[in-house]
Amino acid sequence: MIDAIKNQQSKINNLRVGTLPLLLLALVILAYLAFLFFAPQSPPKPDDTWTRIQNEKIVRIGIDPSSPPFIVDDGKGNLSGFDVALANELAHKWGVKIQWVYTGYDGLYDALNAKQFDLILSALPYNPSKTQDVFFSHAYFNGGPVLIVRGDDTTTTDLAGLQNKTIAVELGSNGDAAARKYQKRYNLNLKQFNTSQDALRALQRGAVNAAIVDPITFIDFQRAEADTGAKTWRVVGKSLADENYIIAVRRDAPTLLREINAVIDSLRRAGKLDEMQKENF
Amino acid sequence: MSIISFSKSEKRYPVVSWLVRAALVFALFCLVWAFAAPPPILVTLGAPQTVQTLHPKMGIHTRMTDEVETWKIKKNYEMVREMGAPYIVEFFPWAYIENQKGEFDWEHADAMVDHARAQGLTVIARLGFVPPWARPNDTSTTYLDAEHYNDFGDFVAAFTEHFQGRVEHLIIWNEPNVNFEWGQRPPDPAAYTELLKVAYARAKEKNPDVKILAGALAPNLAPPNSTDAMNDLEYLDKMYQAGAKNYFDILSVHAYGWKSPADEAPSPDRVNFRRTELLRDIMLKYDDGAKNVMLTEGGWNDHPRWTKAVTPAERIQNTIAAYDWCEKTSWIEACALWVFRTPAPTYTFNDYFTFVTPEFDAKPIYYEVQKYARGE
Repeated sequence: MIDAIKNQQSKINNLRVGTLPLLLLALVILAYLAFLFFAPQSPPKPDDTWTRIQNEKIVRIGIDPSSPPFIVDDGKGNLSGFDVALANELAHKWGVKIQWVYTGYDGLYDALNAKQFDLILSALPYNPSKTQDVFFSHAYFNGGPVLIVRGDDTTTTDLAGLQNKTIAVELGSNGDAAARKYQKRYNLNLKQFNTSQDALRALQRGAVNAAIVDPITFIDFQRAEADTGAKTWRVVGKSLADENYIIAVRRDAPTLLREINAVIDSLRRAGKLDEMQKENF
Repeated sequence: MSIISFSKSEKRYPVVSWLVRAALVFALFCLVWAFAAPPPILVTLGAPQTVQTLHPKMGIHTRMTDEVETWKIKKNYEMVREMGAPYIVEFFPWAYIENQKGEFDWEHADAMVDHARAQGLTVIARLGFVPPWARPNDTSTTYLDAEHYNDFGDFVAAFTEHFQGRVEHLIIWNEPNVNFEWGQRPPDPAAYTELLKVAYARAKEKNPDVKILAGALAPNLAPPNSTDAMNDLEYLDKMYQAGAKNYFDILSVHAYGWKSPADEAPSPDRVNFRRTELLRDIMLKYDDGAKNVMLTEGGWNDHPRWTKAVTPAERIQNTIAAYDWCEKTSWIEACALWVFRTPAPTYTFNDYFTFVTPEFDAKPIYYEVQKYARGE
């Protein structure tokens, strides 16, 4: 019996590990993890792009001038549209002139990284697959579908408030896709039209309770109907499916990115972005 | 009793020993957390399915070629079946399968074919994409010179043999009438016909019943002697002149509508959906009317700003009208439009050709086509 106990004790002793090696192992692992978290970062490199813009007083902007209502070339080299207005605001705040660089849409990112221009401002949707290649600014416009009700509807606050009601959409549009997503949940009765304008007209004459359309069409429709004694409208809540438009800069231009974001944020706070939409859509 | 224990020091410095233990446990947890990976998802073929549809010629081009995860391949084909389309066209890049001469990796291709067949789908395989070993340096993946036609023939033979009983339709090359699909060289219908002859002979050696599809031409109005592209009507005519007639079983056609409705009458100076009829006329001109036509690409785009796009509603109406036209046209064997879904978005107008998003959200066009297939 005593032998058996001794034998067991001996086995346990064999399993014991010295304190020092374990302590060292733990310290090494923790030191490595601490290094990963607290390793000193190399100082940021100066933003040559921003420096050049300031020195030369010229910002070079890459565009595909075939994206109405964001950028339109009238065929004589005169540009207009929402993105052009935003570019003018950037240039005005920075005290620089704009040099437009025309590039096909598919080549915009490559041309940016080849330093053919300083930034892309060209109805560019946010693209998560490009976040390792470029920096994106804060969004300056959301083109996702929105819920519209008549101005005299003061009670609807979201889609849930439209249970069992009829919603007008453009057949096949992103608004239609968003509406189908919520159709069962809220028991929505969807009525499809061939165009967003037809959907809004149905709302105008009271044939439906709400419409889901893209904001560009809505603003355009509002303007077109403004003189016809049309009813007032109300956009309810936020976009039902985000389609954010952003500006892209190279990853070696963090200062330029900050300056762009500062302008976008100040325009938004001042309500200027909304005004620019109404002027250009 | 703890397995890891400390001898005399444990009694002398109990706080230190517990701190060391805690540090060890924490460090081991971090290591496990850092390196642990979940096991791969088990995806089975499942019970054999059949496509329920009133329109058995309906098809769609799928793009599972670059889809890595098997569950997505399965889900993709399930959704095609549920839409009611019995035919799919799928791309099988030569370079992916025979990356070294004579060494074949069928794993991904098998997964695509087996999952498609499990859903009751008929696979039409498009072959192309030249591996580096079969072309000079600094050439594109569509470059193949005559010296390597037999290498392609070897691949076609191996593909035919491997998939005998599973894949019975092969499209030889893609849009060879376009410069960038012909190795950045001016289109050459005689050279393509030579390639077709090699592929046809090698495939039939292995399986006399396999159907060879030729053409898959890009519809276009390129001016004569353009180095970028050759007019598809001219190209097909020259294929016949080069002796292509006896080296294909079915003509593959790409039928894009651009801004025109599906029922717009064909005309040599317009690219529209029914341009297919003009290609058919050339077949008749060469007394080749006994063969059928398969549409292996085509359709409409509903990007809000692309110059060749239509509205979403027009896209839906045109698409259903196109399927209907195929159903009623005796010499059309299948009608596979572009494109069901891509593995990732491109954030360009190309995303507006799809029926389903990369996240598997069905677009309205999917539901409308499904209603058509069900007769609703």
